[in-house]
Amino acid sequence: MIEAARHVRDGDVVFVGTGLPLLAATLAQRTHAPNVVCVIESGVIAPRVRPTPVSVSDPKVMYRAVRLGTLREVLGCLLQRGLVDLGFLGGAQIDRYGNINSTVIHSPGGMKRLPGSGGGNDMASHCRRLLVITRHERRRFPERCDYITSPGFLDGPGARERAGLSGDFGITVVTDLAVLENDPETCALRIAQLMPGITVDAVRAQTGFAPGVAPGVREVAPPAPEVLGVLRDEVDPDRVYLREDESVSAARR
Amino acid sequence: MTAAEAVSRFVRPGSTVGMGGQNIGRCPVALAHEIIRQRIGELTVVGCNLSISMDQLVGAGLVRRTICGSGNLERFGTTFCWRRAIEDGTLEVEDYSHLAMVTRFLAGEMGVPFMPTRSLLGSDLLRAAEKVAPAGGLGGTAGRTAPPTTPHPDRPVVIDNPWNPGEPVVLVPALRPDVSIVHVQRADAVGNVVIEGFATHEPEMMRASRHVVVSCEELVPNDEIRAHPEQTTVPFVHVSAVVVQPFGAYPTSTYRYYDYDPVHVAAYQAAARGGAGAVREYLRAHVWQCARFDDYLQRAAGRERLEALRRAMQEMV
Repeated sequence: MIEAARHVRDGDVVFVGTGLPLLAATLAQRTHAPNVVCVIESGVIAPRVRPTPVSVSDPKVMYRAVRLGTLREVLGCLLQRGLVDLGFLGGAQIDRYGNINSTVIHSPGGMKRLPGSGGGNDMASHCRRLLVITRHERRRFPERCDYITSPGFLDGPGARERAGLSGDFGITVVTDLAVLENDPETCALRIAQLMPGITVDAVRAQTGFAPGVAPGVREVAPPAPEVLGVLRDEVDPDRVYLREDESVSAARR
Repeated sequence: MTAAEAVSRFVRPGSTVGMGGQNIGRCPVALAHEIIRQRIGELTVVGCNLSISMDQLVGAGLVRRTICGSGNLERFGTTFCWRRAIEDGTLEVEDYSHLAMVTRFLAGEMGVPFMPTRSLLGSDLLRAAEKVAPAGGLGGTAGRTAPPTTPHPDRPVVIDNPWNPGEPVVLVPALRPDVSIVHVQRADAVGNVVIEGFATHEPEMMRASRHVVVSCEELVPNDEIRAHPEQTTVPFVHVSAVVVQPFGAYPTSTYRYYDYDPVHVAAYQAAARGGAGAVREYLRAHVWQCARFDDYLQRAAGRERLEALRRAMQEMV
């Protein structure tokens, strides 16, 4: 969460999805990026999010916004129009080329239906940078998604342009094990940073494809105490999200 | 008009029903309960995010098909009846993105047959889409004729941008619900509607619909509407019926009026997750055994709880 927040730059217009992205964007706003403009798909523009929202339609997300409008205004007039710098999503399944599946998973036991695109496809189609926060589990990182709900780099170099999407695009995936980013040459996700104490082999063991390793891969910087304090005391004081995720990462180690 | 009258008059078996609200915000719970009470079935439910009201209609066995961008209640989990029905093969779905659904309503409200978008490109949301060769008039390619087959009425097609050949563009077909059900803050007796706070896809969907049934927290005099006409979200010409129902979105929230009730949302979700029997039991206790929505409010929440939700919202706005 703290690492994900670091990828939000001050002044960015960020289209924020539900769940952990809302929290991480709020953390960024309350620490290093006070001028971040959050846009939420229910029609909310530039709110001062209150703790702890559980939905894009939670009134806590709307607190002191400059505009409460419509889906068309934010998904159309801001996102598709090209005015959003960063799209921030929670992930379901994400493959080698950063394609995201939030629609359906097929397995020998049958199909498992997921919620669907929501604004995810729109964000992946129209943002210049896509930030995904998810748990690092092998089943979440297949070689190829069963269903591409939201386009990453599709089949690799040039595929976005061929499909009619902008090629000016980058993707960062922050997990509890590592930070993955697209290789600028091959477009495939590769390991850019490691969480403290995590090895490349440990990441690969939990990834359904074999990610490359970026030159100069380093360890994620530990959280500054004051940032941790803001997260715990201001962003999620009721531990709606934090407890669960802290215990998950603790159990891993 | 009462909810019973409005629903029996405008919602018919087989209707395409536009669903207002999003996730845990301003869902038309009272109006959906009335559809369940009257057991009006074979419905196609359409919207952007479909949540608790759609799930209850599916759980009641009244839905044949959904067309939407997502089905879920976010932190409270997925829409379990919907998921189960899709996995069992008893419910048809057409998947879109949220922007693509709004764009379909936008075409509907503007009275044009389709509208372009640049969403969906490259994704499997287009997998079922017909690839349409540029027609003579559209693509500007001399000598080509329109394709002989008609695309599926509910699926997008991809064309070449006529002004920039080689640039793919998605066309989505206009969507005009037979009737939309929406819960709003205020309306007058003739159907002028004021939505406060976020409005999701509702303005486009309402204006695209053949009929709109709204339930409202407060009925206001026509003079009040006329004193602040810039606040009217949708004028009466689009609205067929107004039902006065305070807390008509409970257990979801209504901006400026009351917060959502996490306890009751979770209670419904537990039933929905529990399977067909548990859902039937929930619906029996909360809909079929309640002659009026107020009986349900009393049973599910009680006056004290509702007042607490009102205070929680007032503290935030």
